[in-house]
Amino acid sequence: MSDAFLSLENLTLAYGDTVAVKDLDLTIAQGELVAFLGPSGCGKTTTMRAIAGLLNPKAGQIRLDGIDITRVAANKRAVGLVFQSYALFPHLNVFENVAFGLRLRGMSGKALETKVEAGLASVGLSEFAGRRPAALSGGQQQRVALARSMVMEPKLLLLDEPLSNLDARLRLEMRTELQRVQKASGVTMIFVTHDQMEALALADRIVVMLNGEIEQIGTPEDIYNHPKSAFVADFVGFENVFALEDGKLKTDKGPIALSAPAPDVAGLAWRPGMVTLGTGPFEGSVRGTSFAGSTREYLLDTPLGAIKAEADAALALHDLGALVKFDLPVDKAVQLQRFG
Amino acid sequence: MFQSRTEALALVLPAALFAAIVFLAPVVILLSEGFRIEGSWTLGAYTDFFSSGLNRAVFFRTLRLGALVTAVAAIVGYAAAFAIVNLSPTSKGRMIGLVVLPLMISPVARTYAWIVILGRTGIINQLLVGVGLSDEPIRFLFTETAVFIGLLQLFLPLMIISLVSALENMPNDAVPAARVLGANWFQVFWKVILPLTQEGLVIGGTLVFTGSMTAYITPAILGGSKVLMLETLLYQRVSVANDFVSASVIAFILIVMSFSANLLLKRLATARTKR
Amino acid sequence: MNPRFFTPVVLGLVLLFLIGPFVIIVAASLSAGETLAFPPQGLSLRWVFKVFEVESFRASFGVSLFLAIGGTLTALVLGVPAAYALSRYKVPFGETVRTIVSSPIIVPGIIVGLALLRYLVVPFQFGILPALFLAHTALILPYAVRVVSASLGNLRSDIEEAAVLLGTSRPGAFFRVVLPNIRGGVLAAFILGFVTSFNQVPVSLFLSGPGVRTLPIDMLGYMEITYDPSVAALSALLAFMSMGIVFLAERFLGFSRYV
Repeated sequence: MSDAFLSLENLTLAYGDTVAVKDLDLTIAQGELVAFLGPSGCGKTTTMRAIAGLLNPKAGQIRLDGIDITRVAANKRAVGLVFQSYALFPHLNVFENVAFGLRLRGMSGKALETKVEAGLASVGLSEFAGRRPAALSGGQQQRVALARSMVMEPKLLLLDEPLSNLDARLRLEMRTELQRVQKASGVTMIFVTHDQMEALALADRIVVMLNGEIEQIGTPEDIYNHPKSAFVADFVGFENVFALEDGKLKTDKGPIALSAPAPDVAGLAWRPGMVTLGTGPFEGSVRGTSFAGSTREYLLDTPLGAIKAEADAALALHDLGALVKFDLPVDKAVQLQRFG
Repeated sequence: MFQSRTEALALVLPAALFAAIVFLAPVVILLSEGFRIEGSWTLGAYTDFFSSGLNRAVFFRTLRLGALVTAVAAIVGYAAAFAIVNLSPTSKGRMIGLVVLPLMISPVARTYAWIVILGRTGIINQLLVGVGLSDEPIRFLFTETAVFIGLLQLFLPLMIISLVSALENMPNDAVPAARVLGANWFQVFWKVILPLTQEGLVIGGTLVFTGSMTAYITPAILGGSKVLMLETLLYQRVSVANDFVSASVIAFILIVMSFSANLLLKRLATARTKR
Repeated sequence: MNPRFFTPVVLGLVLLFLIGPFVIIVAASLSAGETLAFPPQGLSLRWVFKVFEVESFRASFGVSLFLAIGGTLTALVLGVPAAYALSRYKVPFGETVRTIVSSPIIVPGIIVGLALLRYLVVPFQFGILPALFLAHTALILPYAVRVVSASLGNLRSDIEEAAVLLGTSRPGAFFRVVLPNIRGGVLAAFILGFVTSFNQVPVSLFLSGPGVRTLPIDMLGYMEITYDPSVAALSALLAFMSMGIVFLAERFLGFSRYV
C-alpha cells in the first residue's frame, strides 16, 4: 500500500450501538478526485466525518500520507471539510471567515492579508471581502467555504454534497470550478453525493456504498458500463434488472427463458436503449410513452413485468395500448456478479 | 464531535449538583417533615392540618380565589384578546407591550397601589362618600375582594398574552364560516372560538391559577391576617408558632399544585409542537 | 358587537385596570403631604429625595443589587455550560438533569427560603447573606438554562466542527464561534435573571436578618410602620428602573426574541 495517500483499514464506525459502516477497506492515491456515492444512510457521510476526525472509529485505522491519524484530534489532521451547509461563521465577514484558520496558526498582518486575498481571488470573490455571510448567495457562500479550507493547504479536502443545494446552472459552474481548483492545486479531494450524474461527471474514481459497505469501486466508465451488482446497476440507470435462476430470468410470474443461453452469473441488466423493439420472442402492451428529444421512451407491460425501452424518435410511434414485440438480447446485457 | 459522555457530564454536573444540593435536598427534607411524626411515616400531620377549621378555611379560600381569579381573567382576557387581535400590527405590538409592562414591575409596587385606591381615604371611598353613595368609607382592604382584585391585576396580563397567541393561531375563516351558517355571537364563541383556542385558555388558566394559589405579597398586603391564603398562613405558622410541620404540609400542597400545573403545560406544549 | 366601540372601550378599561394603579402610585409619590393619598395634596419631590436618605433603603438596595448581579452571573456560569451540554451532547440521564436544573421554577420561593433557613443557616451557622445568594442563584438558574438553550438551539453545530477542523481546540471553538453568536441570548438571560431576582420577595421572607434584607422586604417592613409616600416613591423608582432596563434591552437587543 505504499502508493496509497489515504488508506482506511477495517474501519468500523458506529453511532452509539448502531453500526453505520462495517469493516471498510479503501485506498486513495494522492491527487485523486474520488466520489463516495450512495443513497442516504449508506455510510458515505459517516465515513467522511471519520476521515475528518469528527467521529471516532469503533475499530480500524485511518492513515494519511504515511501517518496513522486514527487517534489524532480533528484540529490537528490537516484535513479540510466544506460542509453541506457551508458552516460560515455568521458573526465574521468573508475576509475573517477565510482568515480564521490562518490566524489560529499565528499568521497576521501583511502575510495574512496576502494569503486571504489570494484565496478569495482564486474563487473569484475578491470584492466580497467585507460582506457578511448572510448577505451572500448560496453559491457565493460555498465559494467562501471552499476558499476558507483551501488557504489552509490541506493534505486532503472533503466536500459534503457540494452540488446538491445548487440550481442546475450553478451546479455546472461549481462542478467546473471544483475540477479547476483540484487540478490547479493537486489536492486530493473526496466528495460525498447521492447523485450519480455528479459522481460520473466529476470523479476520477467512484466508490459506491450501500448499508455501510462498499458495493463497487471503479472509474465512471467502469461503474456506468459494468455495474457488478443489481443495486449499482439500478443506481446508474439500468431500468431492466433481473436475477438469473437456472439460466432463466426470475420474474413475478415465474422463470422465463431468454432468446439465447444465459451466462452463469447472478443477474442481467439492460438499459432502455439496449432493448430491441419491434421484433423478438416477447410481447408487451404499451402502458406509457414519452418524448425525450432524440429518443422516445416506452413503458411496456409484459409477462416479465414492467420493461422500459427506448427507440429513435424518428421511427414509427407505438401507440398507447398497442402490442409490441421486443427482445432482451443476451449479448447486449450487462452481467451482474451480485444480486440483492 | 459531541460524543464524549465524560465531556457532557463535566459540563452539566456543576449546575445539576448545585441545584440538587442547594435546592432539592433542603426542599425534599422539608417536605418529608410533613410525613413523619416522632420518626415514623404517617399522614397524621395532614389529618391534623385539615382537622383545623381555620386551616380548612384557608385552603378552600385559596382554591376559591384561585378559581375565581382564573374565571374572571378568562372572560376579561378573551375580551381584551379579541380587541388586540383586530388592531393594526403596530398598535397591536404597542398594546401587547403595555399589557406586558406591569409584569416587569415588582409585585410589591403593583399591590401597594391598591392601598391608595381601596383604603379608607383612598380614591374609591373618596368617590363614594363624595358623591353621597355612602355615609362612611367602606372597608375594602383586608377583604377577600381586595385580594381578588390584587391577584387579578397581577395575573391578567398572562391570560391576555396566552389568549392573543391562541386567537392568532386560529384559522382566519372559522368565524365568518360559522356566521354564514347562521350562528349568533354566543354560538360562535361557544362552538368555534372556544374549542379552537382552548389550549391557550388552558395555558393561561394554569399560569393564573398556580400564580394565585402560590401568591404571597398580594394576600399579605391586601389581606393581612384577616384574609389568610396558603402562603401567608405558612409564613404565619412559622414566624409566630415555629410550626414547621404545618409549614411542610402547606409546602407540599403548594408544590403538588405547581408541579401538576407545570406537567399539564408541558404536555400541552409537546402536543402543540407535534402538530 | 360593534367593533368600533368594543375595542377602545375594552382596551381602555383593561389598561386602566392594569396600569392605572401604577400611575396612581407615581402621582401619590409626588405628593407634598404627609400621608399616602390620591389625589396628592400638592406636588413635591420631597418623598423621592427622602427615599435616598433612608439608610435602610440604601443598605437593602445594595443587598438586592448584589444578589441580582451576583446571583445572575453565578447562574450563568453554571447554566451556560449545562445548556451547551444539553443542546449539543447526548447527556446521560439528560431529561433528569434538565428537570433538576429547571425545578426551582416549580417550587414557590417561600418554601426554598424556609428550607434553606432550617437546614442550612440554622444548623450550620451558615450566614444569611450567603444563603440568600445561593437561593437567588438557584431561582435564576432555570431561566438562564432555558434562554441560553433557546439561543443554542438556533445556532447550527456545524460551525463548531468547521472551527475545529480549521485548527482550534474544543474550548477554543466555544469561545471563538459559539459565544459571539449567542451573545444576545446570554444578555437576555442576564436581564431576565436580574429583574426576576430584584423583584423577588418570598424567598427572602425567611432569609432576612439584621443588616441583611432585600429591598422589597425592607419596603414591606417599612409599610407596616409608617404610612408615608416614601414607599410609593421607592416603588415608582424601582418600577421605572425595571422598565428602563427592559426597554433598553428591547431597543438594543430585541429582547423579546429570546424570551
